Formats: sequence, C-alpha cells, structure tokens
Amino acid sequence: MSSAKNQKWVYMVAALLVGAGVGYLIVSGLSQNSMYFLNVSEALAMPADKLTQARLFGSVSEEGLVKDEQSLGVDFYVLDKDNPLDAIYVQYRGAVPDTFKPGVEVILEGAFMEGGRDFKATTLLTKCPSKYEKNDQGQMRPPGYSS
Amino acid sequence: MHSISFAALFLSMLAGVGVVSYAGVKALKDDFSTVGLLEKGQIVLTIVVLCVSAVLLYALAVRDFSYVYVRDYTDALLPMFYAITAFWAGQNGSFLFWYLGVAVMGWCMIYTPGYARLDERTKVFFWLFFFLVQLFFLFALTGPSNPFLRLDPVPADGRGLNPLLQHPGMIIHPPLLFLGYAGFTVPCCLALASRLSGNGYEWLNLARNWVILSWILLTSGIILGAWWAYLELGWGGYWAWDPVENSSLVPWLSATAFIHTAIVGRTRKSLLRTNVFLVSLTLLLCFFATFVVRSGLIDSVHAFGGSRMGIPLLVFMVVSLALTLYVCLVPREDDPKDLDDFVSRPGMLFLSAWLFLFLALIIFFGILWPVISSIWSANPVGLEAGFYNRVCLPLFVFLALVMPFCPWLGQKGGIKDKGSVMAIIAVGLGIAGVLYALGYQKPLALMAAAASAMIMVSVFLVFVREASLRTFKPAWGAYGVHLGVALMVLGVAFSGPYKIEQNAVLHTGETMTVGEYTFTYEGLRHDHDHPAMNVHEARLVASRDGKVVGIMTPQKRLYHSFSQSSFAEVSVIPSLGSEIYATLLGFDEQDTASVRVSINPLVNWIWIGGTLSCLLAFFCWRKIEHP
Repeated sequence: MSSAKNQKWVYMVAALLVGAGVGYLIVSGLSQNSMYFLNVSEALAMPADKLTQARLFGSVSEEGLVKDEQSLGVDFYVLDKDNPLDAIYVQYRGAVPDTFKPGVEVILEGAFMEGGRDFKATTLLTKCPSKYEKNDQGQMRPPGYSS
Repeated sequence: MHSISFAALFLSMLAGVGVVSYAGVKALKDDFSTVGLLEKGQIVLTIVVLCVSAVLLYALAVRDFSYVYVRDYTDALLPMFYAITAFWAGQNGSFLFWYLGVAVMGWCMIYTPGYARLDERTKVFFWLFFFLVQLFFLFALTGPSNPFLRLDPVPADGRGLNPLLQHPGMIIHPPLLFLGYAGFTVPCCLALASRLSGNGYEWLNLARNWVILSWILLTSGIILGAWWAYLELGWGGYWAWDPVENSSLVPWLSATAFIHTAIVGRTRKSLLRTNVFLVSLTLLLCFFATFVVRSGLIDSVHAFGGSRMGIPLLVFMVVSLALTLYVCLVPREDDPKDLDDFVSRPGMLFLSAWLFLFLALIIFFGILWPVISSIWSANPVGLEAGFYNRVCLPLFVFLALVMPFCPWLGQKGGIKDKGSVMAIIAVGLGIAGVLYALGYQKPLALMAAAASAMIMVSVFLVFVREASLRTFKPAWGAYGVHLGVALMVLGVAFSGPYKIEQNAVLHTGETMTVGEYTFTYEGLRHDHDHPAMNVHEARLVASRDGKVVGIMTPQKRLYHSFSQSSFAEVSVIPSLGSEIYATLLGFDEQDTASVRVSINPLVNWIWIGGTLSCLLAFFCWRKIEHP
C-alpha cells in the first residue's frame, strides 16, 4: 500500500506521538508526585520554606511517644539514624502498624506544619521484614512491615 | 561440612576460570574443539552445586545452628516445611538457589534438541557467556555472600523465621522469581552466541521454550508476591510501587517486550539486533532487580539491609552491558528489511514492545530517581506511588486498548474481518456506556473495563471465525495469556479506584457501616494455649440489608519468638464480586477494638487472570525436532 520510505515516516510520527504523550505524563507526574526523600538531619538542615511534601526516614524515639489507645494515631519524635540527637516531632492520624514501637525504623510521608518544625504525617510505614539484620551492637533489629 | 562445601565452590570457581580461559584462547584462534570440555565442565559445576545445596538443606532440616545461615533464619520450633524453605529466606541462600537454577538449566540445555542443532562455534560462544554468568555467582558465594560461614560457639537456638514470611505465598514467591531470573540466562547467552557467530534468526526458535518457561516463572512469582502482600500484610492493597516491587517488574516488562519483537523476528525475519539486545537487557535487568534489593542504594520499606553485594553486582552489570552492546553493534551482514506497514500485525507488535519498554524505562528511572536527582539537588527527590499511577496506568490502558484489534490485522497491513472489528468496538462502547450509567465514571477505569471486555470478545471471535486456530495449541496459549490479562485488567480497574475503606474504634455490640455492609462487633476472644503464639481474635458479623453474609475473625498474633511484635492476620469473606476484608488494628483491656474494613470489588479476578495467563502460556510450548 505504501513504500518503505513512507512507512518510516509513519513509525516516526507514531513514536513522536507516543513519546509526547509519555513525556507529558512524566513531566506532570514529576511536578506533582515527587517529594524530597530525607533523613531527619537533612530535613532539619533545609530552609523551612522549601519543605512542603517530604518522605522522612528515621527511627522512633522512646521519649515523648503518645500512642492513641486504639492504634488510630500516634505522636512521637523521629530520630536521625546516624545522629540520634536530631529529632523532629511527628503527628500522625491513621492506622498504626503492628510493628510500630520505639527503636524501629519508619518511613513517613507528609508535610511540615506552617511556621514550625513539626511534621504532620499522612502515611506511616515501618520497614519490611524481608531480612533481619544485626545492628552495630549485635542485637536484632526488630521486625516490621509495611502497613 | 562448612569448609568442604566452601572449598568445593571455590574449586568450582578456579576450574571455571581455567576452562573459560582455555576455551577462550582457543576460540580466538578459530579452534572450536573445546565444546566437549565445556559441556563436561558444566556437568561438574552442576554436580558440585547440587551437593553443596544438599548440605545446606540438610543443615536447615536438622537445625544445625553451627551454620550462621541456619541460626539466622530458623529456630527449633519452626515447622520442617518452613525450615527447609528458609534456603531462600536470606541473601546468601538465595544467591546459592539462583546459581543452582542457572547451573541445572545449563545442564539440561546440553540434552535439548535445540542445543543439538547448534554448530560448534555457536556452542563454544554459548558456554563462554554461560560460564561468565556462573563465575559471577561462584565469586559471590565464595566471597561476599557465603552461606557456609561457621558459628563458634554453637548457639542453643536460632533466631527464627519472621512470622510474616510463614505463608505459602511467601514461600513460593522468591524461588519463582529466582528461577525466572535464572531461566533468562539460557536465551540470553544463546542470542549473544548466535549473533557473534552470525547465525541469523535460528536462535529465536531455539530459545522460545526457554523464554516462555522463564516468563511463566517470573510472572507467577510477581503475582504470588502481590497475593501474599494482599493476604498477609493486612494493608488491603497488593501493589505499592515500592522500589523492591518495581525492580522485579522491570525485567518482566523487558521480557514481555522481547516476546513481542521475537514474533516479528521469527515471522518477518527482521529486528535481529533489537531481539538480541532485548533478551540480554532482560537478564541484565534481573541483576539490576537484585542490585536494587541488595545494595541498600534506595530506601525501601523492604529492609533487606545494605550488603556487600552492591559493588560486585554493579561491576558485573556494567561489564555485561558493555559486552552486550559490543555484540549487538558488531556489524554483521544481515540484510536490513523494509519496515512493515504500521497498521499491520507486526507494526502493532512493534508498538506494544515500545510501550512495554517505555514502561520499563519509566519505572527504571523512577526507582533510581532519588539517586539521579542528587546530581542537581542537594537533597534527593523521590517519587511517590501517585507518580506511577499517573504515568504508568494510562500506558497500561493504552496497551489494553490496542490488544483486541491486533488479531484482526494482516501481516502486511489491512483489516482481515471488518465485521468482527465493528462488533468488538460495539461491545467496548456498550460496556462503557452501561458502566457509566451505573455510576462507574472514572475515565481510566472505564476505559480499562471496556478494553477488558473487548479483549475477551476478540479472543472469542478469533476462535469462532478462524477454525484452523481451534486445533492449533500455540494459539490457545497466546490468546489464553491475553484472556488472563483481560481478567487482570478488569480486576485492577475496579479494585483500585472503587475500593471503599474505613477505620473504626468499636466497643462490644457496636456497629460500623462500610458501603452497603454493616459490621457488628461481638467482642474479642483470647487464646493463650497455642504453643507458638498468643492469639487475640475479634468477631465481626457482616450483614447486608439485615441479612448476615458472613462472620469475620481478624486476629492479632503475638509470637513467642518475636515477643516484642504483634502480627495481624487478615480475615476475608471471599467473593468474585466484592470481597470484604477486615484487619484488627488494636485493642485495649476493655476489649475495645480498632478495626479496618474494606470492600474490594473484583479483586480476585487479578489472581484468577494471573493464574490463567501463567498456565495457558504452557500451550505456547513448541516441540523442537532433533537435527
């Protein structure tokens, strides 16, 4: 029906169209669904105005932990894994994973509250147990899982 | 036995290096008489790895805690079944398992008719590549990932297997993935070897069964993982777009793209380089998946922990990629073909392959985004699940919309049966209209549901209109896989966007309402008699319009060997329509319980479709004649 040369054009136009569609999706996704992935120390070092949406990595502090009786929310300090003196106060409402307790590593998603350095978390995940690793003291890291 | 096993692996490695060097030097001088030696080498390597695997299995079975590995993943109370499957619970064991898979498949390869059809030159190249992969594993197993480390003094008991991993889905999921990864080694080495020896397209036929088998293993592994997450993790979902999940999807996408370009390669004798590159890329991405899981480069909810395998894996991948590119780009006199019409069956296969590769690329870069973004950003920027839903789901839906029309396009263009195509379009529009009227108005889900219906009708019509296909088994396979995909598309289209979920704190006797269902909480039962755990079980009576539809008993379990943690055991009322799913989140001394209940429409069709795809794919198997 058409020459090979014409087909080449058809393929190129099709590639361009698909590519443009994908490109648009990626750009819009990047602008709306990307967030900083930060350790606690990194988050504290950032200027407050740049911190809106973020995913925080850290471990749960024993002090200041106020757990809702029914496991439907918890307020606590999240500590930096390497510098336990760096802490951020977290307020979380929602189902608290079984494995949440002082010492576990958590992943938080949410935003910093206006003006302050407190973090309002919308998701709270504890790390998954695919493997146990010993920590530096030779103790077991407690198991956890994504909730 | 620790040191003997280690020594056996170490000697395997030395022998492997010796054989590869010898055969490599001879091959450089155009001497390909080393085939026999290479085959014998493969047999010896396989026997060694079989023996050391037996040693580790035995140690796990008798709980010989003098092995670090046995201590880390079992304890005296663990049932035998789970103790044996702890073989692949940790990194060192899973590398051994993966290598075992590669070695055994290499051994099997020697006796296949496809192998017998190869010339000496191709055979030598094949084994050279195959040994290189195995040497990587032997290096890992005798260095950074040694499963035979000895523990002194021997502890009285082990640390036990995590309760969450004590589930049939989790027991079968990892070995299926590893066997799938292992399986792609054969077609990849075959492709590279054939390309180097200028053997044209023959390898596509010879590699076909290996590719199908590996694809089935990989697919079933991924689906089982999702099923396990749904039933065991109690968060009500099955796919969270976590880096570790994504990294197993990337090689699957590339393998699926390859399966589609391979059809064009076989039937139209074109796209040779593309095919060689894609099958090699698939194997590389299998290693990439392991790299993501093991390197600790990306923060994931799956805490595998940083291990010492990161750098060796990275080096291996870079070297292999360079080798692959070299082999693909080396000019060979294969006559480049004219492109087929775009609107033809090969054209659409090509388009599908593009889409799969786009998806693979997006997810690949998505996984690495925190690393890539650190080039220009002081702090790493990552992508949330919403990114993948926004970018990948439309592409999957587009693929599903292309699917029903492919069978009706001619090899050289044109539509074969306009009536059937019109019927398919009519069904799609009809279904979309009905669903819209019923209130299912989310555009993407609506299109996916219509696409799913069109695929089913299309498959049905193909067998009605083309009598010759009814007795042709590979057609059953190919269309059957797509029928399974249609069911999965349907399941995802509804279970994601139309899921209803609610949390509530309930006192005994109180009720909660979720969607059309009412749940009455009748109190907690505490069972302290179980030898391994304490069980706390809530009783929820589910009813609809005043009629009881089922009793749900979500549990919270406190395992004695994991005393600091509790584990939720989900309760479901299974249904092919709306499945009801309940998790006990917590409770207090007065037996007040907090529960989460969700209604998941059509979720089980994902597992049914997935199972159908994997099983029917076996029909694609084709017998290869001995030469």
